[in-house]
Amino acid sequence: MAGHGEEMSPFVMRYGHFVDSRQAVIDEVTAVFMPEKRSYTGLAQAEIFCHGGRQVVTLILQEVLASGARAAEPGEFTRLAFMSGRIDLARAEAVAEIVAANTEHSYSAARDHLLGTYTQHISDIRGKLIGLIAEIEASVDFPEEDISPDEKNTLLESAQQLTAEIDRLMETYRGGKIVNEGYKIAIAGRPNAGKSSLFNQLLKQERALVTPTPGTTRDYLSEWIDLEGFAVNIIDTAGLRKAGGTIEKAGQTSAKKIIADCDLVIWMIDLTQRKWREQLYGDIKMLGHNNIISAQNKIDLVDDVADLKAGSGLPEMVATSCLTGRGIKGLKKVIVQRINEKMPDLTSGVMVTSARHRQKLAAARKALKSARQKIKLDESPELTAFDLRQAASALDEITGKVYNEDILKEIFSRFCIGK
Amino acid sequence: MDYDVIIVGGGHAGVEAALAAVRMGRKAAIVTMDRHKLALMSCNPAIGGIAKSHVVKEVDALGGLMGLAADATGIQFRRLNLSRGAAVWSTRVQADRSHYARFISEYVADIIGVDVIESLAGAILTENGKVAGVRTEDGVTITGKTVIICSGTFLGGLIHIGTKQIKAGRRGEKAAYRLSESLKELGFEVGRLKTGTPPRIDGDSIDFSKCEIQPGHEPIPFFSHRSDRQPFEQTPCYLTYTTDQTKEIVSANQHLSAIFSGQIKSIGPRYCPSIEDKFHRFADKDRHQIFLEPEGNGTNEVYPNGFATSLPEDVQYDAIRTVTGLENVRITQPGYAIEYDYCPAFQVKPSLETRRVRGLFFAGQINGTSGYEEAAGQGLMAGINAVLYIEKEDPFVLDRSQAYIGVMIDDLTTRSTTEPYRLFTSRAEYRLAMREDNARDRLNRFAQKYGLVPEDEYQAFEKLQIQTEEAVRHFKEVRVKVSDLDHRGDRFKKVDSISLEKLLKQPGLTINEALPLIARFNGDIDFTREALERAVISIQYRGYVAKQEREIAKFLKMESEVIPDDFNFASLAGLKQEAKDKFIHFRPGSLGQAGRIEGVTPGDISVLSIHLLRHKRTSK
Repeated sequence: MAGHGEEMSPFVMRYGHFVDSRQAVIDEVTAVFMPEKRSYTGLAQAEIFCHGGRQVVTLILQEVLASGARAAEPGEFTRLAFMSGRIDLARAEAVAEIVAANTEHSYSAARDHLLGTYTQHISDIRGKLIGLIAEIEASVDFPEEDISPDEKNTLLESAQQLTAEIDRLMETYRGGKIVNEGYKIAIAGRPNAGKSSLFNQLLKQERALVTPTPGTTRDYLSEWIDLEGFAVNIIDTAGLRKAGGTIEKAGQTSAKKIIADCDLVIWMIDLTQRKWREQLYGDIKMLGHNNIISAQNKIDLVDDVADLKAGSGLPEMVATSCLTGRGIKGLKKVIVQRINEKMPDLTSGVMVTSARHRQKLAAARKALKSARQKIKLDESPELTAFDLRQAASALDEITGKVYNEDILKEIFSRFCIGK
Repeated sequence: MDYDVIIVGGGHAGVEAALAAVRMGRKAAIVTMDRHKLALMSCNPAIGGIAKSHVVKEVDALGGLMGLAADATGIQFRRLNLSRGAAVWSTRVQADRSHYARFISEYVADIIGVDVIESLAGAILTENGKVAGVRTEDGVTITGKTVIICSGTFLGGLIHIGTKQIKAGRRGEKAAYRLSESLKELGFEVGRLKTGTPPRIDGDSIDFSKCEIQPGHEPIPFFSHRSDRQPFEQTPCYLTYTTDQTKEIVSANQHLSAIFSGQIKSIGPRYCPSIEDKFHRFADKDRHQIFLEPEGNGTNEVYPNGFATSLPEDVQYDAIRTVTGLENVRITQPGYAIEYDYCPAFQVKPSLETRRVRGLFFAGQINGTSGYEEAAGQGLMAGINAVLYIEKEDPFVLDRSQAYIGVMIDDLTTRSTTEPYRLFTSRAEYRLAMREDNARDRLNRFAQKYGLVPEDEYQAFEKLQIQTEEAVRHFKEVRVKVSDLDHRGDRFKKVDSISLEKLLKQPGLTINEALPLIARFNGDIDFTREALERAVISIQYRGYVAKQEREIAKFLKMESEVIPDDFNFASLAGLKQEAKDKFIHFRPGSLGQAGRIEGVTPGDISVLSIHLLRHKRTSK
């Protein structure tokens, strides 16, 4: 940090340059130092404030990490705060909730509701699984009892049904991801097609730069909007283009990554450009995205509105004027349609929103598959039970835990035991 | 009289406890009412069965007597679940009841270092929070460094037959009521459990031709490697069923049963319901099976397993005579329910030493279990730990991945008792790795460490281990022509030959199919049957055992997160009161154990682990 060498007074914001190991300036920054016991974590702590560009942040982080720092794990600061005695657990939990609420945006309430039924749904599946295990365990633990656990075909059928239920649940994950992480839309297009205008229209308020000038420190703009109850992240890729260049060149940069990472791309067309039809094929091909809407912008400036269709094999077209606001409503409608296509039937209230849960469900599914195979091959039941217990413990990691007692309870309620 | 270990009660727990203490060089006394009734089987005349047989093998591996006694006095031997995998095979022996008790009583009488004192213990004596001995009901003081209570159903025993109540520990035998008071005075929480037993019937009055015969298995699956008994002619058991009339009579008289009249309030085991309970709870089931187990070769008495009851005697008569084959049967002794006192096992440590009184141990039914084998396993552990306590050594605790004994004691000390506890294989998470066949592989090193087994036995076992390994290697080398195989070769059509190992590894191949295959393809090698079996099992389970070992590693990690004895659960901020109460109640010794307490959530464990971390940091 330029201006280094002096002792920093605690809690005083200092201005300077962040330099790398070769003394090259990375960014203008401000920084503050917090001594032990007076920081959030209770440990000595420093905070550096830099410009918001991705590249800058990355460079500074790289530099910090190279100097021996370690990236915090999720919730680690709060855990440290708790362990140092700075906050009690109730507060730690409250912090965790706030953090969660932030990422979930306006959907947290709806999601809570969903989660209640969701947990119940998983518990139901688990209950059925325990039932299946009980059938198998009963034959192992009570071989001489006059009980008749389910036959091979019934067992197979039960296992098959469970697999199908888990499949259905896993299929909701795409939708769950949208609810939990939001739906990402990239606004892309040739220079001056009106990307930023659309961005701002969608925001419905003046934020950041209305007409981003090429060469500012910002790479792109990203904001969140509420679109009929969905958290939508709109990204204006305007800043990505190289001065005077085309999107093809920019494609080598992070633009391509951003676009690839988005759920939807809105490709802006400038109707005042004579060659827009000719360019469109190549542009769409270059984008290489499977979910594109074309906004035919500046409809207010062209006289001929009769012939806007560009031909088959091209994305859906919506005529807009970001200046007058005409067509924006229609565009939003199309966007919501696209989101809904990815959403599962929400009326069931069951949706997998976390990647971790999805992974556990996949593990349960795999174990069930292996169990089915064993039942088919008439393998010894304790081996089938082994697989099924693994499936149960995968589900447990989502909702709670299996007690052996649960299995026995099920056996005793199903079968008359006691020779 | 001064002893190292005083054992109160001469049942299955008491005998193993005394013998273990003596094997470790200590002087023990068994205080019991009748020196000729040591290890008398109060209920059915069988040792072993599902999961219980694992305990017998474990007791045997740790130098215990139960397996040997069952082998010596068995009249029929079976291996249950033989068509399944070896992990769930269970040996069961029908023993001659009086021979079994006589064998053990004589065995104990011959051992120098154990005194059998015929008396009824009335009080536990303590000094400065440590146990000091016991006083008998007739006022004799026996002093000792440690005391193990193995009181069985005698502690506050109360027999119910219909509305009749008899204070007794077993039919015709005095119960221990003062001892129960003594425990309460020492501050122990005492609860009540119930169990039951069927009437005994005269075999001469049974029409066996109407019943289904159940012969023993050949070759005879003896329990103990120490057993030298030769093959003999086994006595069969029989299977029969109740009829519609049975259901009618039992249901019509249900209200007279002590269980249904409200006379018995304590809970009986779900896995061993009375006949009235069976008809009541499973009303849609029209008949129930009854196993007719001979009580021995020198008696005509038969135990009708499945007909436990506390109905009045005359109803018992009417009901049992409706069972197929028992139309003219004579009852030699009526069935009854028995209530008895126990001390919920949160009051003992995993060593079975009580938390309240140092040097005082509990084993068997007092800890809320049922079953001879469960009792024997605990008795053995309590005996060993009493000696280790005297020697100020760390206690011997088996964990859930090492033995069924470990599963049992862990269950007892982390769960509330809701019924008399018995083992099932489904209770053992690491079932595939804890089998009858590898009990000695699992426990031999402990037997050696504590000096529980003579030196030559280790050597013999090591030899067996080497033989097993050689057999496994041999199976890999032997080539089998696929064209020589029947349907078993279907999977290998693409190749000319496979190794014998591969053939033996096929899913669903039982041991009875495997052994002839081995004989067919390499009959020239003279491995013992035991070595061959062990080799086949190890091949078949190898993959699963590897998987379980990964689970065990995770399990052990949590077990190794030790919670100090003085850890203050009450002060833990952010923990639900319910969880706090549970932790204070059960006092888990590790994070793993804490997680197994029922009703404790993973969230509670996270909070506890954070506090533990903090505790470790601050105490450093």
